[in-house]
This record gives sequence, C-alpha cells and structure tokens, in this order.
Amino acid sequence: MTVLAIKTLVSTGRNGVGAFILQCKKMDFHYCDWAGSSKGMNGFIKSALPEFAAAHPQIEITVSPRPSKHPVIIGHYINGNQKSICVRNLEPLQILKKVELLRDASGQKLKKVRKPVQSINDSVRGVWSPYHGEGMKV
Amino acid sequence: MKRLRPASSRWTGWLLVARPGALRSAQQQPVSLTLRRQQSTSTATAPASYNTQLDGTDHDRFPPLEPLPPSATSLPSPLPERALRSAKLAALHARLSLPKKLPLQTLARTLVDASADENPKFNNANLAFVGQTLINYHIAEWIMVRYPRLPMAIIWAAMLAYTGPAPLHQVARSWGIESAAVPGGEVDPGLLQYSLEKPGTAIRGFGYKREELDFIDKYKFRQSINSGVIFDDDYGNLIRENAQRQRQEEQDAMDANYDESIEPDHMSYGNEATRSLAENAHANFTRAVVGAIYAHCGRDAVKAFIKSHIMSRTLDFSKLFEFKNPTRELNMLCEREDFDPPIARMLSETGRLSRTPVYVVGIFSGNDKLGEAVGPSLDMARLKAAMNSLKSWYLYSPGGNARLPSDMLAPEARPWQPAYIDIGEVVAR
Repeated sequence: MTVLAIKTLVSTGRNGVGAFILQCKKMDFHYCDWAGSSKGMNGFIKSALPEFAAAHPQIEITVSPRPSKHPVIIGHYINGNQKSICVRNLEPLQILKKVELLRDASGQKLKKVRKPVQSINDSVRGVWSPYHGEGMKV
Repeated sequence: MKRLRPASSRWTGWLLVARPGALRSAQQQPVSLTLRRQQSTSTATAPASYNTQLDGTDHDRFPPLEPLPPSATSLPSPLPERALRSAKLAALHARLSLPKKLPLQTLARTLVDASADENPKFNNANLAFVGQTLINYHIAEWIMVRYPRLPMAIIWAAMLAYTGPAPLHQVARSWGIESAAVPGGEVDPGLLQYSLEKPGTAIRGFGYKREELDFIDKYKFRQSINSGVIFDDDYGNLIRENAQRQRQEEQDAMDANYDESIEPDHMSYGNEATRSLAENAHANFTRAVVGAIYAHCGRDAVKAFIKSHIMSRTLDFSKLFEFKNPTRELNMLCEREDFDPPIARMLSETGRLSRTPVYVVGIFSGNDKLGEAVGPSLDMARLKAAMNSLKSWYLYSPGGNARLPSDMLAPEARPWQPAYIDIGEVVAR
C-alpha cells in the first residue's frame, strides 16, 4: 500500500552544466625529420606547439617521430574515439587551425543535425491533446 | 539524523598523516632534464630494469622517457615522486580545474584502489571514505530541502541515483579516466589502478549491524522505515556483518563455477563480477578526489566541486515512484490534510465503442482538480489520475534556491530559517 521506489535509475550527466570538461584528452603529433611534407609540421612543433600546450594544460600532448611517413595529428577523446588528420605539406598556421579543430571536436561521429534543438527535458508547453480545450467544430 | 552528521576534522588528521615523508622526498628532488640525464647515464653502473630488456633498442640513442628505479616493478603501486612527471596526471589535474593546493602526489594516490595496494597509507581507501561521507551529506540535504515531501524510500532511491556506484562510475568516466590493465609499481601514475583478481577492502558507510540480521533473512522479518533510517546505510540497505567477507565468498563461488570449456575470448571481455569491481573502483576514485579536495582545500572548495560535478546531474524524480493502491493512498492523504474526499470525474472521452477508446479522467477535491490522466479504460485512467495527483503532492518543491543547512557554515551567513520538511509517507509501512 505504500509508495515503492524504483532503484535502477541513474542520474544523467550534463557537461557544461556545472563543470565543463574538454572532450579532447590527448593529442599525438607525429613528424619526420627528413621528409619535405613534414617541413610545416616541424616548424609548428618548434614555434607554435609550446604555446598551444601551455594554453591547454588539460590536453596530454605527445610528440614522436615517424620516419618516412607523412606528419599526422591524432586527437583522443573522452568517449574513447580518436580522430586523425594528416597535415602533409601544410604551413604551421594551417596546422594550428587543424589542431584547434581537433581540440574543439566532441569525439562523436559527425552527424547531420536535422533538428535545430535537441533536449533531454520535456517540453514546457506539453504535447497538444485533442481531448482538451474547446475542440474543433466540424 | 545520522546521515546529516557532518564530516568531522578527526578524519582529515588521519588523512594528512599519510606519507608525509613521501611528499618531502619528492620536494627535495627538483624535476629537470638534468636529473633525467643523470639517471639514464647512471644505469651503466647499476643494471636497471630497462637495460636488461631484450628488445634490441639502442638505449644510448633513444633513452627511455622515464627511467624507472630498479625497485619499481616490485612495488604494488607507483612511487609518489613519479606523480610529478606524469603527463596524464597533470592533464587530469588541469581538466578537473583542481586547486593548486591539491598536489599531484595526492591526486596520484586517489587513483590507487585498495585492491591494487593494500597499504592504507598508499591507497585511496581513507580519502574515498571521507569523500563518500561528504558527497552523501551534501546530496541528502539538497534532496530533502528541494523535495521536502518525498517518502523515505524515494529519498533512498534518489540518493542511489546520485551517489551510488553507477553514477559515480559515470562521473569518473566523464573525466576521461583510463585504467591500467594490471596494477603495479611500473605503471603510469595517471592511470586508475585496481585488481580484478582480488576484491579490495569495501568502504563501510554509516550504519549499524542489526541484532536480528540472521532472522531477517531466515524469517523475512518486516523492517520499518524508521529503523532503516537509524540502522541501515544511506540507501536503506542492510549493513551486512562483513561486506568484504561477503565479496570474498561471492568471488569464491564465481571461481568454483568457472568453466574451463568457456572460450577465453569471452572471458576477456569481462563478466558481471569484473564489471562490478571496475564500477566500484571508478566510484571510489571519484569519492577519493572529493576527499582529497576536502583534505587540502577545505569545506567551500569541496562543496563547489560536488555541486558542479554531481549535483549538476539531472534525474527525473517522477520516474522513481511505483504505487500500490494509489486511490486509497490519495483518499488517506485528503483525509490527513483535511481536504474534501477525492472524486474522479470523466472530463472527456472518445471512441467508447471502438477498439481504442480514450478517456480523460480528473480527480477533484471539492472545486480543486488534484490531477488528471488519459487512459484506455475508465479504471486505468482513474488509477493514473490518482498517481499523478499523488506525484504532484510528493514532488512539491520550494524552488531551486532554497537555503541548505550547510550554507550556514559560511562566514557571515544570514540567520537560519527552518526549512520545511514534511513527514513524507502518507501511508506508513
């Protein structure tokens, strides 16, 4: 006769309500000392990367050589996914754009957004009901 | 109430006793490249572990990133001074926006579960206990002030949905925690370390073992809600004699049932028991971070942290309810509150003779409508309307900005005005 409780529910996290956690947790920078396609990447690692790393302490950054291969940046995300971008023959500033793209990504697979608003909350106005109000005169 | 007992200062004394020497030795060693180089060259005199590896790597040309002391592999958890050199740990510290006062060594300690390192001076058990107390206290007072009319069973379920192992496991995952495959002294201190082989020490919350515990299982004794508030843990579960022994027995039973014929591939993905161990280890890590913030930065910082990481989660409280005889309960509620007796009236209907009739039924007390619902039969619509009426009573809220008892701990707090808390249950068990 009393109220019973359903004990299987779990609260849902909402990133950005309260605390915000950047979804990119790690970035790998791979370069080659010899190949020409890594020229821009080598310049980026020397000039812009220290500044970027200092500005984003929440991202773990690794730099490692990958001889005889094109330079690659790999972003690792909190949901377990990773995204990689090949930056061959790009200038340091172009590479910085790519790095910022990886930083801002959520790690989700890219999807076409068809509905402008997505929400886990119920509509404030409720769903329209034909059984309420004056009704429609036929 | 016992659940509202605030964390007292004697725990932090015990916490801060832990490893003072470790911290001191870490401070004496400056972190620099020269140190690293010295260590890598000194390996020529002392055959360190990595030089003996047979991978054929030219260690002079490619020195290891982090030379390990020879004793590292024999330790159950990484040395504290290695915390200062872990990139993962520093990134985690920044990702959680932890205060500078919280040192990396303590953050590294929160990642060592009791199942990885049994020594309480090096694992997170003490920090997790303090964290659990703080989280449960803050969430309990917040739920009670926010929804003052909730029955006790619903409060317990809501506590479980916010502070149980499952939500705290999700919190740890949302922080991007990775775990080491096997714990040991050589793993990166930024990885969560727990063992799937042996269960660690279970944290015990507040609560008391009931004298009649043996008979509860045997004779299905009825337990009142009041006794549950006093004796049971924060989720209304019975305190067993020895949770650790129980887990060990479960583990033994699992080992006994282990079937050799099952493909190892299926085992490697884990099973119910390993998932539960992983969930508890992640949850204990979350609690330990909260305990560490309290130990180093104090009350206000920990309250802000709990508010932004745990209280900010969302839960639909109306989905926690399950009713038996809602009409009778509503009748008793109206009697208790001196309302007119509830009367169900049909507001609208369609298709009474069709295959899919729809009835809209409202429940009225005098001229006030208490609730309404739509149903495929008159009886079902009336039951649903009674449930909606009861939910709208139980889920009364004074608003999100109601003051909490812990707000009084702030200096220069306004005088306390008692919060409205209802007795909760309409029908006592």
